[in-house]
Amino acid sequence: MVDVLIGFFLATLITELFSTRLFKLIYWYALNSLFLGLIALYIGFNIDDKAMIITGFLTLFLKAIIIPYILKVYFLRFNIPRRIIPKITIQYSIILIPIVLVFTFYLITPILHNFTHANYVSIAISALFLAILLIIEHKNIAPKIVGFLSIENSLFLLGISATDGMPMMVELGIFVDLMMLVVVINLLLKEAK
Amino acid sequence: MSFVFLPPIVIFVLSYFKIHRVLMSLVASSVIIPAIYILTHHFESSYFYADKLGSFVLLVSSIVGIGISISLISLPERIKMSEKNIKKIYRFFGIFWLGVTISILANNMGIYWIGLEFATLSTVYMIKLNNTDVANKQAWKYLIVGVIGISLILFGIILMYSAGKNALNENAMNFYALSLNSKKIEGFLFEIGFLIAVTGMFIKMGFFPMNLWLADIERASIYPIGALFSGILESAIILGFFRLTKIEEHINYSHLIGFVYIYGLITLFIIVFLMYRTKDFIRLFSFSGIEHMVLISLFWVSGGYFAALLHFAAHAFFKPALFLSTGLLEQTKKYLFKGALNGYKNKLVPILVSMLLLGVISLPPSPMFFSEIYGFKAMIDVSKDSHYFLLMIFGVFIVLTLLSVVFYKFVNVYQEAVYESDGNNNKKVYKSEIFMLLWFLTALIGLLFSFDYIDGIIR
Repeated sequence: MVDVLIGFFLATLITELFSTRLFKLIYWYALNSLFLGLIALYIGFNIDDKAMIITGFLTLFLKAIIIPYILKVYFLRFNIPRRIIPKITIQYSIILIPIVLVFTFYLITPILHNFTHANYVSIAISALFLAILLIIEHKNIAPKIVGFLSIENSLFLLGISATDGMPMMVELGIFVDLMMLVVVINLLLKEAK
Repeated sequence: MSFVFLPPIVIFVLSYFKIHRVLMSLVASSVIIPAIYILTHHFESSYFYADKLGSFVLLVSSIVGIGISISLISLPERIKMSEKNIKKIYRFFGIFWLGVTISILANNMGIYWIGLEFATLSTVYMIKLNNTDVANKQAWKYLIVGVIGISLILFGIILMYSAGKNALNENAMNFYALSLNSKKIEGFLFEIGFLIAVTGMFIKMGFFPMNLWLADIERASIYPIGALFSGILESAIILGFFRLTKIEEHINYSHLIGFVYIYGLITLFIIVFLMYRTKDFIRLFSFSGIEHMVLISLFWVSGGYFAALLHFAAHAFFKPALFLSTGLLEQTKKYLFKGALNGYKNKLVPILVSMLLLGVISLPPSPMFFSEIYGFKAMIDVSKDSHYFLLMIFGVFIVLTLLSVVFYKFVNVYQEAVYESDGNNNKKVYKSEIFMLLWFLTALIGLLFSFDYIDGIIR
């Protein structure tokens, strides 16, 4: 089951890289967060880890619903251009993305024995690289913001897969920081207007 | 311990009411009492802990915080700002200071990261408050660079936590537990995490390849931002570096030396030429800040703990004072103390600023003179014990050569600085600004009498 969910997580992230419309990008980000939340919940219930279950629900509520909604409201309110063309064209992305995926599997070969789910760790690290690629390939600020949030998603996945979840206090702190990022983005856009 | 968080919170709350700038400064000054208390009463819990190192860094950052709050008294007279924006500056200064204090006192690596993220995000908006197109662009730029740097730090922390989790469970998140049990953790995985986290920290301090962003944002934003970065934020980051290197040196010391020396030398090489070409005070001070961070890192990993800590504290006092003086200096890409010669107060300022300018390039009796002497001694000592003696000595020689270019640049600026009055358009110097400069100068003199204490921090 986790394999399927992680597959969907990666697929939605890759689709984000191909998006040329802003609201579709937010939609894919919301789906990406949804699968992440489901992974956390599934693993949390399996190993009976209450902290992970709570963070799973928080992910579903905040990252899959609230943050995408707030971002959509901001982008509408401040008239952010909705057409976003990646600088790296699709034909090059199609070559680049598998290279990143294979490279990450190669990268973690020396530390395979450290993890019970080495494949998940590898996917989390490749998701991090892909999220950075999302930031790099766009000139507009709006997709870059979604890129930051995707970086955070991939680090959360890494936290789940490499360490079976970080301590509760840290997870909550990261959520608070995420909300502060959203507030700061609002202030920056407001002043720019 | 909790009282140390109080002044930033009170500043944040008071920023929602009518601003009384002197009152704000008095509130900020009250932080000195808990900071001194923590210096003498250490503690340890799973989330926070204060050892000699942490409490020393906390005291230094508190002194800098007070100095900056004093300088904010005259900010509206220097820069035209609305009441609303001044409130916002205090509000974000409060959040920033709170974040940095959390980071400095954190035992848990996750809490350390959360504090850093708080500080980063609050400064993003403070850059924007300058209300120019350039400042707006630089705020976004900082958001991108800052978030990437901070993400790398979190990435590294997760890997380091994973390396120690089998042996230490949730305690693997604690600096203290990791340093006590460094032999039990998975060395290779920890090293990968360490390298990634330290690269994130270096990016946040403006090391290679992100050399320009710090200078750009400090140039574009209002002048206290440079002081916040060089005096307070870098204190929190470098403390994380200190704590992680103390663990890493038990795992693989030669990798640590190789990584930091190579990274530091490349950064220094680029920074020195950027400094040589720079044409205004803020960029010069900004690049100089990166150069000093490289030196502190090199001294620390070479085992020159006294030198590194003395250099760190001296830099934390010198650089904010210099950045805050740029509010008094002209900022039109000239080295010019324009119209600051009338009256005793105005004459005092160029003298104080000149002392700071010469002190920052280690002219005796500056504390930096002693720190560099002891720091280079530590570097030569570590070279003597190394299998790569000639390579290491060559590295030290390169560092000294590059530093000579920095000294030349500062002396050149000092000689070329023009102290002139242009008649009617004289610049006024406020009492609070002189008090701020004297505050930093007193702290620097205090450092000269604290050698024994600093030497005893790491034994």
